[in-house]
Amino acid sequence: MQKIELMHKSFNILTGVIILIVFWYLLSLILNTPALPTPLTAFSSFFELFTSELMPHLTISFYRVGVSLLIATVLGVPLGLFIGKNKKADEFSAPLIYITYPVPKVVFLPIFLILLGIGNISKIVLITLTIFYLILVTTRDAARNLPKEYVLSVKSLRANEFELYRHVYFPACLPAILTSLRLGLGIAMSVLFLVETYATQEGIGYFIMNSWSSLAYDKMFAGIIAMGLMGFFLYLLLDAGEKVLCSWIHL
Amino acid sequence: MDYLSIESLQISYAQDNQITPALKDLSLSLPLGSIGVIIGPSGCGKSTLLSVLAGLNQNYQGTVLINNKSPKECDATALILQEYGLLPWKTTWDNVGLGLQIRGFSKKETVIRTEQILNKLGLFHLRKRYPAQLSGGQRQRIAIARSLVLEPELLLMDEPFSSLDALSREEMQDFLLELWQETNLTILLITHNIEEAVFLGQKIFVMSECPGTIIKKLSNPLAGDYSARGKIEFLETSNSLRSSLRGLN
Repeated sequence: MQKIELMHKSFNILTGVIILIVFWYLLSLILNTPALPTPLTAFSSFFELFTSELMPHLTISFYRVGVSLLIATVLGVPLGLFIGKNKKADEFSAPLIYITYPVPKVVFLPIFLILLGIGNISKIVLITLTIFYLILVTTRDAARNLPKEYVLSVKSLRANEFELYRHVYFPACLPAILTSLRLGLGIAMSVLFLVETYATQEGIGYFIMNSWSSLAYDKMFAGIIAMGLMGFFLYLLLDAGEKVLCSWIHL
Repeated sequence: MDYLSIESLQISYAQDNQITPALKDLSLSLPLGSIGVIIGPSGCGKSTLLSVLAGLNQNYQGTVLINNKSPKECDATALILQEYGLLPWKTTWDNVGLGLQIRGFSKKETVIRTEQILNKLGLFHLRKRYPAQLSGGQRQRIAIARSLVLEPELLLMDEPFSSLDALSREEMQDFLLELWQETNLTILLITHNIEEAVFLGQKIFVMSECPGTIIKKLSNPLAGDYSARGKIEFLETSNSLRSSLRGLN
């Protein structure tokens, strides 16, 4: 059953990739400009540069996104669960979250560059801050809307606060947390690209923009493919995590 | 000697800057090893009463004693909720063993006890299934197993069979009766179903509308008799109970 499902999913992904490549190919023929090379040229460049030029940039970008996702999760999930579970904490924090959540965090990039330097820290902090809110709000809402019946039944078994978090709040909110991580990943990749175009010579964002400014469009597309594949790989990882950790929602 | 004794229980809630009484001067008692059934209109505070007995609500006035201990001190109670209270992310095995885990039983003891109770109730084959993969009756049996594995003395049940169809409901009533005869548990059950109250309740307590109090206590000799459902006395008791409840509306 699982094998059939996996084959079905692989087939869907393959179909999507083929459609995308055909569309790209047709567009490159229609536009007929060096700024949009054919898929064959771009992929040739990608495979040619993968180990030599792309890999070091890809590694640093992967590190920045991975660490940011991890920190945002470690901070956002417990805080979201706590706020969602405690009415007073919710009432206290709601206005603060309401005011700060809609502010685009990327506007703080210059401040972070000044305060935290041009190294990895300022970039990681900005990506973390952007996805932290998403995880916090999603987790809080999931904990807030948890059916009381689950809490009551476990409380009646004489569970303490920690056990309520462990057996009820965290597992109940896990599907929502993973959804927020998936959404956050897309945003993190966009912010990553932005932060890597300023004051750095490392990262796949820098590689793409540097190739663009030197009119090396095949290299630029090799970078875009690399960045796309990195996002796709992380997405698959989260998907697999959900399958393992939340098997009960797929019944 | 009463196992459960409630004297002048009073509970109020603060709502919209007003104090709203939920239970008022409620008294009842239940001997060890008997089944008591509470029946009354919706919103009369029946579930509030059970939450006090389960030790979940300590904001009350009056005396509540379970085996001469307060509900908070007494760890020999188990509560079964209307929607079973099974956690959807845990398998049958994990749901049943949860109480033991929380109460600090060793892993070995948890495995032995969980296996024993699942075998006893004929549920062992369902141990790897999640609640979503089970029927209503199976879920209710598992909720009962989760309570019984803790070897309670007092089982509190909040409309336990209300989500079941008529046949499953009767099956579960028979099942509960069998269990009670085997274990000598003291059971306090809330129901809206008059026939269920007469079939199971040795003592039937009729509650008033909110603020809830006991307005009628009935001793019922028909309780626990499997063949009672077809008897004329069963219909007569049911009708008498029905009249008492209609008088409330």
